[in-house]
Amino acid sequence: MTRHVSNLAMLVPRLAAAQLRSDWILTLCLVIALAAVIAPLLVLMGLKQGTIETLRERLVEDPVFREIRPAQTREYAPEWFDALARRPGVEFLTPTILPLSSVLQVLPDAGKKAVVHDLVPTGPGDPLLLENGGRIPGDGEVVLSSDAARQLNVTQGQALSVRVTRARGGVSEVVEEELEVVSVLGARAGQLARLYAPLDYVLDVEAYKEGFAAPERGWPGSTPEPHLSYDGALLFLERSLSPVERTGLVINTGIVHLTDASATRVEAMIGRALPAELTAYRLSTPGATLRPSQLRALDQKLRGRQRVLLPFVSELALKGADGQPLTLLGRSLSEKEADFLGLEPVPWGAATGEAPTGERLRAFLAPASATPPGDLEVTLEGAVPLVLVLEPAGKATGELPVVSLELLAALRTGMERPLTLSADGQALEMARGGYRGFRLYADSIDSVPDLVQALEAQGIEVIAEAEAILRIQVLDAGLERLFRLIALLGISGGTAVLIASLYAAVERLRRDLGVLRLLGLARRHVFFFPVVQGVLIASMGLGASLAAYLGLATAINRSFADALLPGERFCTLSAPQVLLAVAATLLLAGMASLIAAWRATSIDPAEAIRDH
Amino acid sequence: MFRLEDVRKHRAQGDSAFELQVPSLEIHPGEMIAVVGESGCGKSTLLDLLALVLRPTSSQVFRFTEPNTGHSVDAAALWAGGHEDALAHLRRAHMGYVLQTGGLLPFLDVRRNIELSARVSGREPVAVSELASQLGIDNCLDRMPAALSIGQRQRVAIARAVAHGPALVLADEPTAAVDKARGAQIMERLAMLARQQGTAVVVVTHDRPLVEPLVARGYGFAVSAISDELTVSVCRPLERWKAAS
Repeated sequence: MTRHVSNLAMLVPRLAAAQLRSDWILTLCLVIALAAVIAPLLVLMGLKQGTIETLRERLVEDPVFREIRPAQTREYAPEWFDALARRPGVEFLTPTILPLSSVLQVLPDAGKKAVVHDLVPTGPGDPLLLENGGRIPGDGEVVLSSDAARQLNVTQGQALSVRVTRARGGVSEVVEEELEVVSVLGARAGQLARLYAPLDYVLDVEAYKEGFAAPERGWPGSTPEPHLSYDGALLFLERSLSPVERTGLVINTGIVHLTDASATRVEAMIGRALPAELTAYRLSTPGATLRPSQLRALDQKLRGRQRVLLPFVSELALKGADGQPLTLLGRSLSEKEADFLGLEPVPWGAATGEAPTGERLRAFLAPASATPPGDLEVTLEGAVPLVLVLEPAGKATGELPVVSLELLAALRTGMERPLTLSADGQALEMARGGYRGFRLYADSIDSVPDLVQALEAQGIEVIAEAEAILRIQVLDAGLERLFRLIALLGISGGTAVLIASLYAAVERLRRDLGVLRLLGLARRHVFFFPVVQGVLIASMGLGASLAAYLGLATAINRSFADALLPGERFCTLSAPQVLLAVAATLLLAGMASLIAAWRATSIDPAEAIRDH
Repeated sequence: MFRLEDVRKHRAQGDSAFELQVPSLEIHPGEMIAVVGESGCGKSTLLDLLALVLRPTSSQVFRFTEPNTGHSVDAAALWAGGHEDALAHLRRAHMGYVLQTGGLLPFLDVRRNIELSARVSGREPVAVSELASQLGIDNCLDRMPAALSIGQRQRVAIARAVAHGPALVLADEPTAAVDKARGAQIMERLAMLARQQGTAVVVVTHDRPLVEPLVARGYGFAVSAISDELTVSVCRPLERWKAAS
């Protein structure tokens, strides 16, 4: 009986196929009609897949697109890093000290000049290194960007002599080390000359530069005093400068601008209008503060002239005891300078250019109107808050309390770097620098937007290739929708063609199917006649479509070859997608044949006897 | 092999109704009988009943007995039980058909058409070439039915009807579409094959003289209008049948 059943199971498909073969012109028309629907869909699917995948691959494969960088410098607590690193989507996170200002001097060869390079912290799992042919450096090791390797003329495995310098108390100090170059990154990792080293090493270098010791490395140091920072300075001269003199004055000092000082600024500084016999110039460097050493260099160039240099500090956030914003005037003058400008002398005398101590740290001149003069409590809202209590040491001529220029300039440094009062209260100290930035890589481009959003919600402005990623995602979603619509249309058309023609075929073959029923085929046997035909036609249509797709895809990829990297395809389908298309088409064909199949089962074998 | 007693088939069409009554009909193994009557007398209805494709309205006995095994099947019970697959099985296992214009499948060549009945019944076809040469169609085996004359098609249909060695062949006006000379030839071939294979044959025809010399017994119809609406046709053995042997 089983043999019999299997015979019948084979007989119906054979008969269905024979019928298609015999009516080959009609069959061919159907196959062409189906291919005309399926082939464009395959090409469309391939184009969508190819373009999106190419763009995505380019983004996904290059870690640069997964990087999220801070847009501004601020203090980050170690706990913040722990919390961020635990977030889903974070592949790699390391703190940085001062972004773009961690530098290291590299001594290329004996006799050549030392070159300064950016020093960037890294750590286990850093995708920028790992995905650009690099290894994660250990202690005493370093990884170079391709540009750094080219400039320094070193390759993997060679040793690099580096030098860290600092100035402490006016004395230049230096430590030197040998680092092994464990790898050189590919050009894709970035155009800048950079050195990648373990975070601990970078931290020690930074700390050393600020005067701290690094005992494990044998680098000496102590707790450093704050340096002085000015937002600008006014230069008073007895006669004006020619343009050539003006240029010559600032050259090689790091000061960028020398302009005529405004009357307001002059009045704010000396409490009255500029005396007719004097000329005032303003010195500044936009975006940066001036250092005492720069002003000393400028002062050197003016030797022999009658002049006074008055540095000023304007970007300071101070609060009084009442919580209101407070403005202080910083002034340190020798008697000669005071006399030159017609100002009252100050008890602490001339500017030193060094961190304030004693009176310069503790005293102030009360405003003329304050009676009786009491202590002045000042809070600096800097990198960390700092509270100072100043004692009156006299009366000022104006309405602003006057303190030493050194105190104000040290507080200006405290806007960027944490300052504390020493244990005995007699000096200001710089706290060891915390983390001021980070390097963050998401695990995929799809995680970037979420991370950016989360960071921005914390008030952290970041820079990411979010737009490029978003563009891809929007494009992907848009194309997907478009493709689905077109596919729906195409599939509906193809299905309608199949339903109609299979049904028509059953109607045409009524008599023949009736004969088969008369010969002893059951309803369930003739049921499969249209189903088999549907699947056969769909298979042939698929075959034709795949052939057309392959031809067209090859042509498309060839014509766009210039814009593609090796291995990239503009029009491509993965094996699972082809399988899906095949399965979907056959399933649909099977379903489209069901109406015809049901129709076939309703044929009465008696019709075959009557129907002549 | 087939025993029918008081089988009735009632057919209503609009206002008028037609009823075929078969008081008693028997078909013995190897026997060739004729069903003779004018069109509209119900001879095709009788053939549909015998072919197990038309459900009788009522029946006393409607029994098919397999000649080889003696296994007896109550066809009426199969109809009542809705066992259409079992009826289809009886058709393909034990019956062959010759239709008026052959009923060949146009998409199969002659050889495959002849083999079809055997394939459907799951048997090896008997020697097709031998059968074809006996019927004078051995030169047509690789042609398509459309390329044959009507007479040739009828002979192919006969070959198909017997190719799987059925116990019973039902032939519905097999000579209707050919001239008298060819008709006689076709009938003779059918009778000859039936004798050779021991197959029972029921020939439905309106042409009594054509079959009378070849066939042992004949059945005819007595049609009477009972009322305006109802026509009754009773199927009885024909008397004064001049049997060949």
